[in-house]
Amino acid sequence: MIQYFSIILMLIGIFGLLIDRNILKLIVSLNVFEIGLNLFIVSIGFVNNGIAPILTANNSSSNLNFVDPLPQALVLTSIVIGLGITSLGLAFARKIYKEYNTFDLNEMGGNN
Amino acid sequence: MNLQILLIAIPLLLAFLSLLLKKQSNNLLLVAGVMNVAFLTIIQKGTTVIGGFQPPFGITLVVDNYSFMALVVLNILFLTTILMSRNSIEEYGSVLLVAMAGLNGMILTGDIFNLFVFLEITSITAYILASKNNNYKNAFHYLVIGTLGSGLFLFGIALLYGMFGTLNMHDLSIRIADVDSAVIVLPTFMIFIGLAVESKLMPFSSWVKGVLGNADDIVAPLIAGSYAATSLFVFGRLFSQVLVIDSSLKILLLTITVVTLVLGEFAAFSKSKIKEILLFSSIGQAGLVATLFVSGLVLPAVLQLINNVFSKVVLFTITGKIAKDTDTDEIAELRGIFADHKIIGVSFTIASLSLLGLPLFFGFYSKINVMFGLFSLNIYLIPALILFSTIIEGAYFIRMLLNLWNTGEEGEKSKLEYKTDKIVSFSKYKKIGVLVISIVIVLMGIFPSLLLDNLYGDKTLLNENNPEYIFEIKGGM
Repeated sequence: MIQYFSIILMLIGIFGLLIDRNILKLIVSLNVFEIGLNLFIVSIGFVNNGIAPILTANNSSSNLNFVDPLPQALVLTSIVIGLGITSLGLAFARKIYKEYNTFDLNEMGGNN
Repeated sequence: MNLQILLIAIPLLLAFLSLLLKKQSNNLLLVAGVMNVAFLTIIQKGTTVIGGFQPPFGITLVVDNYSFMALVVLNILFLTTILMSRNSIEEYGSVLLVAMAGLNGMILTGDIFNLFVFLEITSITAYILASKNNNYKNAFHYLVIGTLGSGLFLFGIALLYGMFGTLNMHDLSIRIADVDSAVIVLPTFMIFIGLAVESKLMPFSSWVKGVLGNADDIVAPLIAGSYAATSLFVFGRLFSQVLVIDSSLKILLLTITVVTLVLGEFAAFSKSKIKEILLFSSIGQAGLVATLFVSGLVLPAVLQLINNVFSKVVLFTITGKIAKDTDTDEIAELRGIFADHKIIGVSFTIASLSLLGLPLFFGFYSKINVMFGLFSLNIYLIPALILFSTIIEGAYFIRMLLNLWNTGEEGEKSKLEYKTDKIVSFSKYKKIGVLVISIVIVLMGIFPSLLLDNLYGDKTLLNENNPEYIFEIKGGM
């Protein structure tokens, strides 16, 4: 179920990228897309009635029904990369605003 | 001792160091470039396990025939580019160091998620380089498309992990071989889109015009040379050695790549600015190389790739400098520019003719390999389209060369007085650099086995039936 939800979230992000012409909204759309993607990756490791993959005094056997920890580690990396991209995008947005005095791609005109 | 890790670690270390020693960053960049090339002479083939987790659980770095070839091409390209355009690096030394680490990492890694991480590191440096000279709007365009592409690439990786439970490329290739290839159509296509953005394949290459069309003599050769070479080498690794392309998907992918080739050459033909001609020619060549990889012809694809990137580095370095000094790259305004710069002109001509695939140059050898390879697979439509696009390519390259060498208007007798009054001054690094590369192109055209023999020590690679030819990725297992 959560997998369908996250794919819908990704599609909303792509939809936003396609129809929006405002630079800040484009960055937000990219973020929505990335969140959907990250949720999808986490959902891959899901196990029904699974428990957190940590060995404790109560859960000392490795034969228990753990969820897959690897996707969670992957998502952590992916979130950090997303943060880097977002901040770079915002830095570009600021420079573009300085040059054109607008965030709207339609109002900038010029070649491309 | 295995030195693979140093190819990534030293540029990365010097990148952090260069933030502290701002003034020395360009020298540190040169040091890293020279050291990486030096390491290649002593590097051993094999795998390195990172972090102590045994494969297939941990990350491995892999040096086999394929990735060694890619490393040689990448590091030599990178070093010559920064040597030739030293004065244009400005404050971008640290960025280039990170780029060097990321590009080497993309080629070396044997783990598909690690590949995504290096791909992102490399793309972030590419966005920053694209924004050089206040080109922020086009850089933002590149950032949005690039992020979407690598997001879909990660989606494909996640699907593969969900299906096969492994991220090690070697392990993955074994498991994929066991199942029906129709199962992995969706992840394969997602990974294709992700790499197509970086490799400049057609529907995903709308960023190229804005970025390369405004790039100077360091950004353009890097993005059209080192970055393009790396992403195509990775493309080849994944699509010819890890993933199995389903026959129905293969038709779709081949359509995309062949259309890229033909449309790219047509677009280049219709342009009047040198940079735009070259960038659309790059798109076309990327389509050609991707076509060969998707068809499974690894050796011809690698040869064609090497020919393309080395020629493009020469062409873009010269064009970038001309555009920087004269503020224009319209051919009509630059008539006869080479009359004053004979060495530069000769190198430019050699590089373009090699790109065309004329005899005497390396391009001839690579193109004849392409043709033989495709005919041996009983494919006839694609070679016809390749030859057709070569005719278009020939038309615009010869037209460009004629205009850049000859002074005066078309149809009139050429006289030196008609020469363009634009002034360009090429540094001696540039002159020596482009001359050396073009001499190498001619030498490899006359003695094609020179390159392969020196890389592998024997001629067996030229024989496709030899098991050496099938590049292997050992996951260290």
